[in-house]
Amino acid sequence: MKGLHRLCFIALFLLALLVAGVLFALIFRISFKELGDAISSPEVLFALRLSLWTSLAAIIIALILGLPSGYLLARRNFRGKVILDTLIDIPLVMTPLVAGVGLLLLFGQTYLGKYLARVGINFIFSPWGAVIAQAFIAAPIVARSSKAAFEEVSPRYEWAAQTLGLRPFRTFFRVTLPMARQGILSGIVLAWARAIGEFGATLMVAGATRMKTETLPIAVFLNISSGELGIALSCALLLIAMGLIILLILKQIGNNHRRELPMKGIE
Amino acid sequence: MAVISLVNVRNLILKDISFDINDGEIFALVGPSGAGKTTLLQVLAGLAPYSGRIFSDARPLDGVPPYKRGMGYLFQDLLLFPHLTVEGNLIIAMGRETAGKRRKMERAAELLELMGIAPLVRRFPHELSGGEKQRVALARALASSPEILLLDEPFSSLDFRIARYLRLEFKRLQKLLGFNALFVTHNMREAAELADRVGVLNDGRLIQVVKPDDLWLSADPAEESFLEKTNILFVSNHRETGNGLIEVEWAGHSFVVPDEGKPFERVAISPREVFISNLTPPGPPVNRFQGRIKKVRESEGMAIIEVEVGDESIEAKITMEYLRTLNLSVDDNVCGILKLRALQGC
Repeated sequence: MKGLHRLCFIALFLLALLVAGVLFALIFRISFKELGDAISSPEVLFALRLSLWTSLAAIIIALILGLPSGYLLARRNFRGKVILDTLIDIPLVMTPLVAGVGLLLLFGQTYLGKYLARVGINFIFSPWGAVIAQAFIAAPIVARSSKAAFEEVSPRYEWAAQTLGLRPFRTFFRVTLPMARQGILSGIVLAWARAIGEFGATLMVAGATRMKTETLPIAVFLNISSGELGIALSCALLLIAMGLIILLILKQIGNNHRRELPMKGIE
Repeated sequence: MAVISLVNVRNLILKDISFDINDGEIFALVGPSGAGKTTLLQVLAGLAPYSGRIFSDARPLDGVPPYKRGMGYLFQDLLLFPHLTVEGNLIIAMGRETAGKRRKMERAAELLELMGIAPLVRRFPHELSGGEKQRVALARALASSPEILLLDEPFSSLDFRIARYLRLEFKRLQKLLGFNALFVTHNMREAAELADRVGVLNDGRLIQVVKPDDLWLSADPAEESFLEKTNILFVSNHRETGNGLIEVEWAGHSFVVPDEGKPFERVAISPREVFISNLTPPGPPVNRFQGRIKKVRESEGMAIIEVEVGDESIEAKITMEYLRTLNLSVDDNVCGILKLRALQGC
């Protein structure tokens, strides 16, 4: 047993070394002054703002589509459920670049894309393209985690609520949703992390136009390509900082959930 | 006047159930596991499909969704909402008819006061004991101002003493608030203690509806198969002992029986609650008798032992393993104990 543990420890050490090495390489490549100048530059501030609002809009779309989907998949059995359940998982395993090509064709070449363009909604090579690309990646994550969270809440609580006179919508918002909130929140945070770091699909749909469709990952790509290492690394460090915040939030949600678990067990 | 009427209600489990529940009445349904007791409650609450007709105050309820039926349901597992405080659990049930948050809070406080749990108002369900949860669930069901309260084995998961105390509390509240209730139980004693009338359900059929006192004397063979043959002892020389017990005489032995506050001439006890041994059991000499084994037979893997006590006889039900351990046979002398809490005057 001791030998096995020693081998595992070596593997863990190597993995930690690799992660720390990447972080060090990014952090210590530029000085604090360079970092400060870059972060306050209009381009980085633009990328930060664009990343924040596109990811926020994407999460709202993901919630509007993912939450009801997750609830339905958790609560009802219907013909074709397995097919739909599998279908919404495809973006999770799809290469983002390929997803982007698909979105580009759907919103650019098809009747749908042409119709939307005619009424003035243009996703291709616009910031809304970034929103759609991010939502496409984020919605299945929200749907999947919501489904799992709703499955954890016994439908008998909904029965109890209805016998107390609560209509179905009120039952959902006052009973089911609050009881499933931990799992749903985790899903939202994870989906947001994927959305804000989304690159491949965004590049295909929104393109990489400086100061127009330049999200943080696109900014890293553009500035590395043009040799602006300071700006590229600042954007990278901002993404890492956001990742850390997300990890902390997830940990906090996990702790709250653990505190509440005994209560669910008793009830 | 009937508050709830069921006419030929049937589904996969229930078979043509028809009965009425009268105003101000507590109606109990007894039956073994799988008899359809919980299904019947779910049908009434609109949670399970059925055919037939159900009326509430002559208003047809068929096709009416659960949230419009006016049936308060106390589930066996209570289902208190874990994310809400005790007060929140009550307020959510009040709906729109109780206007204003302040009024709702006052009403919640009144109900909790009535239940004797006013200090628990800010607690969460996981901070409550089993008995407290039971009372909160009852208060919550009442908070929705139902036409009738449906209770699914409401006291089955509680300690004997707490269950008994809560039964008395429930009876007091019912008298005070005058609500109608239908509760299901497999505990005949519970049914006899609480209900005004008892319906016996077996295999999805309502076999009969009787007064609680007559429950022990039922002669219906189908009913007996689940109710078991209850020992009915004709007792005499009643004497109050002053501590909630009544001393009576049966077959030349004296016994104490819980005082239920009503006169009785018979005492009922399930054969499962009659303990027998070929040795004198240790412990205080209360509710004991001496007798001789008249007959031993096997029924559904258990041994039924008929014991002759003076001119009377009583049956005890023990496991076959215990019978082998005791090595008992006909004509052996045995000592017996009648468990006090299982004795029911009727």
